[in-house]
Amino acid sequence: MPMKGRFPIRRTLEYLQKGELVLKNRVKIMSVNYNTSGELSEGARKFVFFNVPQIQYKNPWVQIVMFKNMTPSPFLKFYLDDGEQVLVDVEGKDFKHITQHVKKILGKTEEVLQMEALAKMEASNPANFGPKKYCLKECICEVEGQVPCPGTTPLPQEMTGKYRIKMAAAQD
Amino acid sequence: MFQVISRTGTPVTRLLASRGAVLVEAVRGRKSRNDPKAKSKEGRIKVPPPIDPVEMVVLKERFTEYELIMRALRLEFKEEMLRKRYEAEVGSQAEERAKQEAEEHRALMAWNDAENLRMRKVRELRIQNELEAAELKKSEEAIQAEQLLQELIRAKEREILQLQEDAKNFITLENLDQRIEEALDNPQNYNFAIDKDGRVVKRTVLE
Repeated sequence: MPMKGRFPIRRTLEYLQKGELVLKNRVKIMSVNYNTSGELSEGARKFVFFNVPQIQYKNPWVQIVMFKNMTPSPFLKFYLDDGEQVLVDVEGKDFKHITQHVKKILGKTEEVLQMEALAKMEASNPANFGPKKYCLKECICEVEGQVPCPGTTPLPQEMTGKYRIKMAAAQD
Repeated sequence: MFQVISRTGTPVTRLLASRGAVLVEAVRGRKSRNDPKAKSKEGRIKVPPPIDPVEMVVLKERFTEYELIMRALRLEFKEEMLRKRYEAEVGSQAEERAKQEAEEHRALMAWNDAENLRMRKVRELRIQNELEAAELKKSEEAIQAEQLLQELIRAKEREILQLQEDAKNFITLENLDQRIEEALDNPQNYNFAIDKDGRVVKRTVLE
């Protein structure tokens, strides 16, 4: 049974990776207060249903908390690491507008994201060989299309050093 | 930077041993502690390869120079990385960047507050409208209830008047004899048939 739930597309990696909202490093907690019934909470409900999985996927270290039916009007609250609290009123808003609004005030911009991606690429240079912790591959024998590791399959004789030396000595 | 050598578990003695020293460390290998030495190896004394002193001197010089240069290069690169990281975090530009970010943050928070204010105004307006609508509805319902009451009273009055009218035709003790006389004098014939339109069709004669 691969399909679970009402909109199983929310569980696919592709959908999660398409999430645009990457919160700034300062945001630690995000809490959503909304109501399970009522026209004004509709946008907040859709936001929780569709966008919160994407946000959590992109920000695994941010705590996201949901509160239901505690206040008459829905809102989002962000708690930053210096104690500042940011309140976002979402009564009657569309869930797409909510995402855009939050992206504007507390999301990382495109350029910042690109720079971070560049730095990450620089760190993992495929031309470096070394321990798995720092590099992608440890030896050239791990790369497809290269000579396999002599530890697993013996090299053909012409490639071994001792044979070559013997041939060179026999020639002279 | 990676320090692979010291990570692969070579003991310190091996690293620190100078060139030409005999490492008398016995490696166990295939045989265990109590196995005797092989017959062909019984009287063998392991001797390191012979060293040419002239060659050794030359090699030592070259190696010291080479290692000096390599060590210097490695340390240079390490220092470059550290300096880059330091500049990125605590450099002169970092402060400006931090200030700029704080400014932007403040601007965005102000914008967010403005949005919240606008939403609040809209919400207050809406609540006010709802209250007014509720008041209107309440008053209208009161009016309707009043009207209903009035209708009821009027219906009751009509009934009373009707009753009063009917009371004129009631048979009382005074009229009893008179009414009996009248009834006897005027016999009523109810034996008639009706068609679908309500018109009388047939009358049978009263016995």
